[in-house]
Amino acid sequence: MYLLAAYPQTCISAYLLVLSCITPCPIGSLTIYWMVLRHPWSYTNIHFSLTPRNSTTCSQSIPSSIISNIYNILSVEEQGMSQSFSNNTNSLNTTVNNFSVADDRSDILAWLSPLEPRLRHQDIRDQRVEDVGEWLLQTEEFRSWCAGSGGDESDNAVLFCYGDPGVGKTYIR
Amino acid sequence: MEENGLVLTSCEVSSLVIDNLCDGAGGQNAAVACFYFDFAAQKEQSSTSILGAVLKQVVGGLDEVPVEIARAYGDQKRVIGGRGPRLPDVVRMLQTTSSEKRTFICIDALDECVAEHQVKILSSLKQILQKSPGTRILVTGRPHIRAEIGKRLAGGVTSVSITPRRNDIISYLHSRLDEDTIPDAMNSSLEADILRKIPENISEMYVLAPILGKLPQAIH
Repeated sequence: MYLLAAYPQTCISAYLLVLSCITPCPIGSLTIYWMVLRHPWSYTNIHFSLTPRNSTTCSQSIPSSIISNIYNILSVEEQGMSQSFSNNTNSLNTTVNNFSVADDRSDILAWLSPLEPRLRHQDIRDQRVEDVGEWLLQTEEFRSWCAGSGGDESDNAVLFCYGDPGVGKTYIR
Repeated sequence: MEENGLVLTSCEVSSLVIDNLCDGAGGQNAAVACFYFDFAAQKEQSSTSILGAVLKQVVGGLDEVPVEIARAYGDQKRVIGGRGPRLPDVVRMLQTTSSEKRTFICIDALDECVAEHQVKILSSLKQILQKSPGTRILVTGRPHIRAEIGKRLAGGVTSVSITPRRNDIISYLHSRLDEDTIPDAMNSSLEADILRKIPENISEMYVLAPILGKLPQAIH
């Protein structure tokens, strides 16, 4: 049994790192346990390198072709494509773990909520009269809300737009 | 009273802002999520499903589903035929996503939400803001919920009245007249009168709404 570990070369706050998998990865008669520290949202700032824990043992016992294959899987730096890494990782996860984020994407979204606000938005968007209400986007209140980043005390994170009670909130077409 | 053809409803304001943000007003690569309350659909609109729907839109815009969410889904789908997420889970996930990416959350007609869920939603939004103060939240509704929003979100609220402006009324009248299904009943003199007199005499939406609702009948 050998342990191959991938470490991020750059210094990344610990909370951004999620231990994605410690997965037994059978390659031929060898079983390689490998561990990948994954950035939960993107791989943009993470570069991986493969560092055997015991380089002497590994280089003697594991054929260079296997090391090379694993490097290929993790070689973000060479390919310069963070996405390709995530794709490769997913395909490996599918093989080893029977678990793939990409395959489950629509199921996960449906699991988060059965509601579909985008349909209602599209409905209203289609009915809206052009230019009506555009003045709101030009107000100082809207602009500073939109541009604010919570950096200073005067920043208001919440914009409340209200109408008179007599306006009626019902929108009947 | 027929409530047809309001010039500027809260949901129209919301959709206008959302489209503006989606078009890039909020900066490149910002996440925009919305929810429209509907009095008729109160049963389905629980605080968990609403904020879950907000999270769904944020996640839908990411290149990849965050591992934390994929893992929670993987854990829950195996039990009792698939358990849904709980509100604290959804809030935690939203805290994480909004910390990673600039996020706009637009909640329309909050006053049409059941009081119990309204409190939970405001409390959840507060938790998200505490973790990620850069998150922007738009809420629309009737003025009576203003105090509640201020109290639950602990200040930091800017209020804007959405009374329609003169240009809104003119644009709206043009639009309605263009959509007239019996154009022969209209002549240029009558159209000019409508476009001049209505904006002159009426600026308050609550007066305008019922009149505009009956505009087609009045013309014909």
